[in-house]
Amino acid sequence: MASHHDCWQCGTPDAGSLFCRYCNSLQAPTPDYYVFLGLPRRLAVDPAILQKQFYAMSRMLHPDRYTRRSEQEKRYSLEASSILNDAYRVLRDPIARAEYVLREAGFEIGEQRSKDVPPELLEEVFELNMALDELRAGDSEVLPQLQESRHNFKLMLARIDSVLEEHFQRHDGQQDVASRRAVLEQIRNVLHRRRYISNLVSEVDKQLSSRNA
Amino acid sequence: MAYSDKVLDHYNHPRNVGSLDKKDPSVGTGLVGAPECGDVMKLQIKVNPETGVIEDARFKTFGCGSAIASSSLATEMLKGRTVDEALQIKNTEIVNELSLPPVKIHCSVLAEDAIKAAITDYKAKTLDAAPASAQSA
Repeated sequence: MASHHDCWQCGTPDAGSLFCRYCNSLQAPTPDYYVFLGLPRRLAVDPAILQKQFYAMSRMLHPDRYTRRSEQEKRYSLEASSILNDAYRVLRDPIARAEYVLREAGFEIGEQRSKDVPPELLEEVFELNMALDELRAGDSEVLPQLQESRHNFKLMLARIDSVLEEHFQRHDGQQDVASRRAVLEQIRNVLHRRRYISNLVSEVDKQLSSRNA
Repeated sequence: MAYSDKVLDHYNHPRNVGSLDKKDPSVGTGLVGAPECGDVMKLQIKVNPETGVIEDARFKTFGCGSAIASSSLATEMLKGRTVDEALQIKNTEIVNELSLPPVKIHCSVLAEDAIKAAITDYKAKTLDAAPASAQSA
């Protein structure tokens, strides 16, 4: 999915995504992270390839290289560098990457009802909140329980991450849009559960560290 | 965003906080959660097995002021109603009573879910407890 446009400088049609293939002037950058980086639209991204591409493009697009160029190109190099940094930050993190692909596909993130949460998890969350309450009230007897909960929730996060990994592979293997969407839907649900649990873990971390401080 | 006076009242003076014996066959327990805001709500009812009237209701909610107020109000609404009447309670009644803004409507939905979950749990218990002859009859 390359962007097809005429070069703003020389008018060459279908100029190319970064530089005009005829006059080599920098083109207006596309805001799509995958297209911008020239990567296939896959959820499983090889971090080494991503990093290599990021460094190569950083050098190519750095505003210092455009100080003697036209105002238009100076502006494009600033814009492109900023998109490049955002793209790298988002795509190198599997969670942020999945959320990006979901949003681009038109999924809303954040809408969820309790029926998506397994009852055992709710039970554990409730107990955890009770223990946090007691800790805030000054009862340190709950500390071992909290540490155990934190450990359990971290294990849960690790399991969720490996499930996500599998979903990513499955998503990338689908050929048609409808099957991809079906996998994206599952990924969204897993992401919701993950966020729920990671919020809890950070709450426990906060409480435990404020006591140690 | 400011909370309405009624929300503040329930938040500062929550009614019926606490828990009932989960193992008591006349007690139904509903535990629900809203992961997007991290809320978790436990609501319990104690039912008179003869009359089907809810004699006591308790809750414990971890969440925002509206979630606490919604469950506090729910326990007040439940007391004195029969189980079947309680099933008719709609989240919109809670929204209206507490003047909840649109972004907090999910809190009232959670409270309705908790009521239904508690009743479902109670009914499942009474079904289990019923003698085999009554079930096959």
